[in-house]
Amino acid sequence: MIATVNYNSNTLVTIVHIPDAFIPLTQAAVYWVIALVFIALSLRWARNEMREEKVPLVAVLAAGIFAIQAVNVPIPWGTSGHMMGAALAAIVLGSPFAAVFVLTLVLIVQGVLFGDGGITVMGANIINMGVIGGFVGFYSFKGLNAAIRNPYPAAFIAGWLSLFVAALVCAVEMAIAGTFPLELGLISMGLYHAVIGVIEGGITAVALYLIYTARPDLLKSPAGVTA
Amino acid sequence: MDQKNLLYFGIIIALVIAVAAPFIASSNPDGLESAFFGVFGAKEVHGAELDEEAAGAAEEQVQEITGNTFSFDSPFPDYTIGGMEKAGEALIIAVGTLIVLGIAFGLGRALSRSD
Repeated sequence: MIATVNYNSNTLVTIVHIPDAFIPLTQAAVYWVIALVFIALSLRWARNEMREEKVPLVAVLAAGIFAIQAVNVPIPWGTSGHMMGAALAAIVLGSPFAAVFVLTLVLIVQGVLFGDGGITVMGANIINMGVIGGFVGFYSFKGLNAAIRNPYPAAFIAGWLSLFVAALVCAVEMAIAGTFPLELGLISMGLYHAVIGVIEGGITAVALYLIYTARPDLLKSPAGVTA
Repeated sequence: MDQKNLLYFGIIIALVIAVAAPFIASSNPDGLESAFFGVFGAKEVHGAELDEEAAGAAEEQVQEITGNTFSFDSPFPDYTIGGMEKAGEALIIAVGTLIVLGIAFGLGRALSRSD
């Protein structure tokens, strides 16, 4: 039995948190290697771009993302889902590597202390949520915000897209693992996460609004950027 | 709002969410699990009913497919704390939130530039 897939008790098991049994060890090792490259780059981002006075903001974002990931919101079809937070972290801190940094910390604590997400497959979870979520969220926000000149709808779409693409990548990983057939995996993961993405987009936009209202300077110069 | 107040406000919001989480979170299977149960015939993709027997069998089946039988006993599995109900879950999620805050703060301070 897989401890993390505890379907009938009142658990807070979470979206795209892959449990150990879903991926063969050799593939899980490959994902870990890829994840470690991005973790190294995120540490370089922290060393080069993260200014000391922004550290509390990074820490609070990490804590908030951990907390909000514990809230599974019901969606149709007897399913639930929760926010990922990578797009928000990347947008507020001004770099996709900020999302990798924050989500890696969150995923380590979730996996090690709470059995939420596997240990051998943590690399895959870091790739999906931190790397895919962070890069899709950051660059779609950047492009959309430049096009429509309004950060909030841009953040909504970026949040939605970050979760949706991460879920599709997860479905492809499941297909490679032999766990899901590709087409059925893409359809069901796509369907559920298209809905869960609305939660991701909505909270990303609202949180960004609150942060920018409290600190308008962050809008002009995201925390990581050394202007 | 200055930096300090924004941060206190952020920590309070995070803790409120953490404490509320066990009481407001849905216990339905999440997107990945739901897709998994759909693939293994324990649930219709568009259906709300979960066949718990088939769901249990699916979990054994997937281990045979991937061969990954790694198991790890986390101290607070699925955000529960031994013998305590929702209040315990609320407590442990709040503690987890503070642990993440502390690690991120400590690591951030160690890595960041001061200028």
